[in-house]
Amino acid sequence: MFMKQTKVLLILTIALSLLALASACGNAPKDDNSGGTPATAGKKFVPNGKEGTISGVVAFTGTPPAPKKIATDADPACGQKNPNLSTEDNVVTNGKLANVLVYIKEGTLADGTKIGDWGFDTPATALTLDQNGCHYKPHVSAVMVNQKLTITNSDPTQHNIHFTPKNNPDWNQSQPNGAAPLSHSFARSEILVPVKCNQHPWMKAYVAVLKHPFAAVTAEDGSFSIKGVPPGAYTVVAWHEGGATGTEMTMQVTVPASGSATADFAFGGAATASGKPSLQMMPALDVPMLGRH
Amino acid sequence: MNRGVHRFALLLAGATFFLIIAGALVTSHDAGLATSDWPLSNGQFFPKMVGNLFWEHGHRMVATTVGFLTVCFTVYLYWEQICNWLYRRGLIRSAPVYRGEPRRWVRRLGSIALGTVIAQGLLGGLTVKLNLPLVVSAAHATLAQLFFCTTVSLAVFTSRSWLENQPTMEEQGTLAVRYVCVAAAVTIFLQLIIGATLRHSATWDQPLPTDLLLTHIGGAFAVTVLLGTTAVLILRRQGGKTFLTRPAKLALALLAVQLFLGIAAYITRVASPNDPQPLNPMVGITVAHVACGALVFATTIVLTLRSFKVLRANAASFEFATAEPKLKLEL
Repeated sequence: MFMKQTKVLLILTIALSLLALASACGNAPKDDNSGGTPATAGKKFVPNGKEGTISGVVAFTGTPPAPKKIATDADPACGQKNPNLSTEDNVVTNGKLANVLVYIKEGTLADGTKIGDWGFDTPATALTLDQNGCHYKPHVSAVMVNQKLTITNSDPTQHNIHFTPKNNPDWNQSQPNGAAPLSHSFARSEILVPVKCNQHPWMKAYVAVLKHPFAAVTAEDGSFSIKGVPPGAYTVVAWHEGGATGTEMTMQVTVPASGSATADFAFGGAATASGKPSLQMMPALDVPMLGRH
Repeated sequence: MNRGVHRFALLLAGATFFLIIAGALVTSHDAGLATSDWPLSNGQFFPKMVGNLFWEHGHRMVATTVGFLTVCFTVYLYWEQICNWLYRRGLIRSAPVYRGEPRRWVRRLGSIALGTVIAQGLLGGLTVKLNLPLVVSAAHATLAQLFFCTTVSLAVFTSRSWLENQPTMEEQGTLAVRYVCVAAAVTIFLQLIIGATLRHSATWDQPLPTDLLLTHIGGAFAVTVLLGTTAVLILRRQGGKTFLTRPAKLALALLAVQLFLGIAAYITRVASPNDPQPLNPMVGITVAHVACGALVFATTIVLTLRSFKVLRANAASFEFATAEPKLKLEL
């Protein structure tokens, strides 16, 4: 009798675990492809010498949050190389904000074509992402689809580099100190791919993957410059990390032939996009328009 | 009774509990992918245990130890059969002196434990190689609880109190304690699955998914009602029977601690995305919540097994179930 009941219990348990597995399968997050498209060759864009520039400064209004000190007890090598290791989500110098990604989200060229209709050459040079002082350098960067990323480890300790994209495959690779550089690229556009080191959980970076080269990241003085922009009217986006998905602000700019346009942004307590319309606070990782152009 | 088998089973259950804690530490530290290779870590058996690799490789070392213990335990259970097999083939000169486990079904349960721990190791490797997909990670965490439950059951079945002739008693009242125990155990198991899925749905720096969180809170209410009912029924009906009341009291106490830990874990976990890295008390409390959940499950399993050992259907309900219908409709 008891054996029979035990068998029933065992069968019940196994059946329930299978049900749970099936349920978990159903709840697994699915890739949202709305924000990313594979590189497709449109009409190839050829510069004609009349390209302009979008430049500006990103400010931080109000009192920025103080950087948080990072405890390095778990890996003393980090503390030895970088004694003042702290968070870098708000790098503010004299009211100017660094590590803001500014890029063209969409727009129309002077000849009436959409910027998304054009194909752009992928740069032959790789972007280097260095693990230095137990931080990623650069903290925020932009590459084009299929552009190579070279990952180096300048630290006297081991790291792992873990890209956690939504529209591209997840990628994780260990890189002990002294190991050869790693190479990686993304086949689909995506704003933005978070990067993390599971060994040192404070280490974070963001890589924007674009189908065009019109993006820049603000320097320590908050300035940025996007060069070689064909004349036209564009929606320019400034993205800054923070919260679950970051904060975006948008602005309409018109780039004249061989001229320049200014796009100043301000994040923080009383943030505005200078002079021009829309201040939008929205999830930065959900930018469907980027995938359509 | 073979005391050695029981002690070994206790050792295995204790080691498995420690392994669950080690695994929970990996999840709370987001250390599962601290190395991209498996079964080696950074290509080494003994890598430098710095950063989060300490938690991930430490977990692998504890898991290897538990796997080895399970192999030894299974061999121990089958010792007599193994020796007889070797003796019949002339590979050893004498028949076995030590007996393993005489009951075939207990030996088979040991084999199931061995199969489970192997599957668990493979799931652990798979989740690393696939970069922690939710379904595999949640299955890994769930199977850990099932393996723990199996080792606890083995410890129960080989214990003196189980092997002694316990007087059997009839169930009292209309609500059979045995089936309430089963309902509580199943509900706790489902709650463990929801908890495992919740934990693996978001790392420490991401907000928890609201739907899963609410489901987990609902599960906590269900477990409280069912386990509370079970314990109260046992304490009221079987007050003098320590064989049942001890695990019932323990389950109630653990449930109270678990509810407190659950609230504390929620409070600390909600704040953790603002931290630069996983910090205590978030890590300590969430791990304690996982560990206490395993203990609640194990205690309920013990209670269920013991209730089936000593309780039997009462005569009234038996008669009711088997009696010929006496009333006839008069047309």
